[in-house]
Amino acid sequence: MQSKQSKKGEWHWFTGGIIVSVLAMATYIIFQALSYKSYPFGITASFGNVASWFQYPFDALADNPIIRKYSDSPSSIISLTMLFSVALGGFAAAKLNKNYAPEMIPSVWRKYHGPSVLKRFIIVLFGGFLLGLGAVLASGCTTGNILQGWAHLSLGSIVAGASFFITGIITANILYPKTGGHQS
Amino acid sequence: MILKIIIGLIVGFVFGYTLQRTGITKYPRVMGMLLLKDFKILKFMLTAVTFSMIGFYTLDSLGIIELNPKPLDWGKLVGGLIFGAGMGLLGYCPGTMLSRIGEGKKDAWVGLLGTVLGILFFAVHVEFFKTHFKAKSISGDISAALGINPWIIVPVAAIIFMAIIYLANKKVDDFKQNF
Repeated sequence: MQSKQSKKGEWHWFTGGIIVSVLAMATYIIFQALSYKSYPFGITASFGNVASWFQYPFDALADNPIIRKYSDSPSSIISLTMLFSVALGGFAAAKLNKNYAPEMIPSVWRKYHGPSVLKRFIIVLFGGFLLGLGAVLASGCTTGNILQGWAHLSLGSIVAGASFFITGIITANILYPKTGGHQS
Repeated sequence: MILKIIIGLIVGFVFGYTLQRTGITKYPRVMGMLLLKDFKILKFMLTAVTFSMIGFYTLDSLGIIELNPKPLDWGKLVGGLIFGAGMGLLGYCPGTMLSRIGEGKKDAWVGLLGTVLGILFFAVHVEFFKTHFKAKSISGDISAALGINPWIIVPVAAIIFMAIIYLANKKVDDFKQNF
């Protein structure tokens, strides 16, 4: 596993991988010690926690089993905290290493799909909708199903994680049909 | 309560920091992976998976933790396919989305809204999804299903993951050239 050049200034993929691996194991042990049963950490629950806030303006949602699950889970406070702390981690990493670069839409998107912020936002809103629906249906996102699920060799997660890539690759090729111009 | 908040703060901060610092949150990186041009994210993920897998199964064998493999149902396949299309449109997944919000990428906020709406859609139609995609499931425990000792499966899986890392590593990760 020797390295080819990684992007300058960034951590090597091996370093990042080991840190996330240690994190995955540590949280599993901590969660089990706190007796939240065998519950691997995932980010989907953080978004689910935000979704559960809608029970307050909409009474009809209060009895919904999914809303209850995210709202009443013993780890719901951890999930909610992580919503902020993951963003804070991204902010700190960008600021401390002087690559904090706010933008409305990604520059690559702008180059291929034009400068319209509205267009990108509509696509992102729809993409997010699919992401949320798919993550709950598949019982986990990349964190829960790949970083955790593949490591547990869960049959369900192996299928879910592999299917992320199938449609992901198709979608990316529809959006960027002619990329890779540098190739010989 | 305080303990949970502290755990959430530390775990989330380290996770978000690592994703950003390793360059996993970059839009061209995610799209580069899906276009099969930049494999840094794949190598990062498989490194984490390989080490965690050996760690998890060691801890399980020592009786420190109990593994709880996710069962297979139609929701895993269909949900996974829906999720993948969303990931392609967004250029990030839920974890990197949060880290990108911290980085000041405004479109990630819209992604957050969309994701929450997607979860609400599932919640409102939960009966439909449960009956059609979650009713039948088979155990996710591969070694139990095949009747093979996990310590035969784990090294085989580790070799497969490392072989993929090795092959992916033959390609230089320079996402800027890809677009």
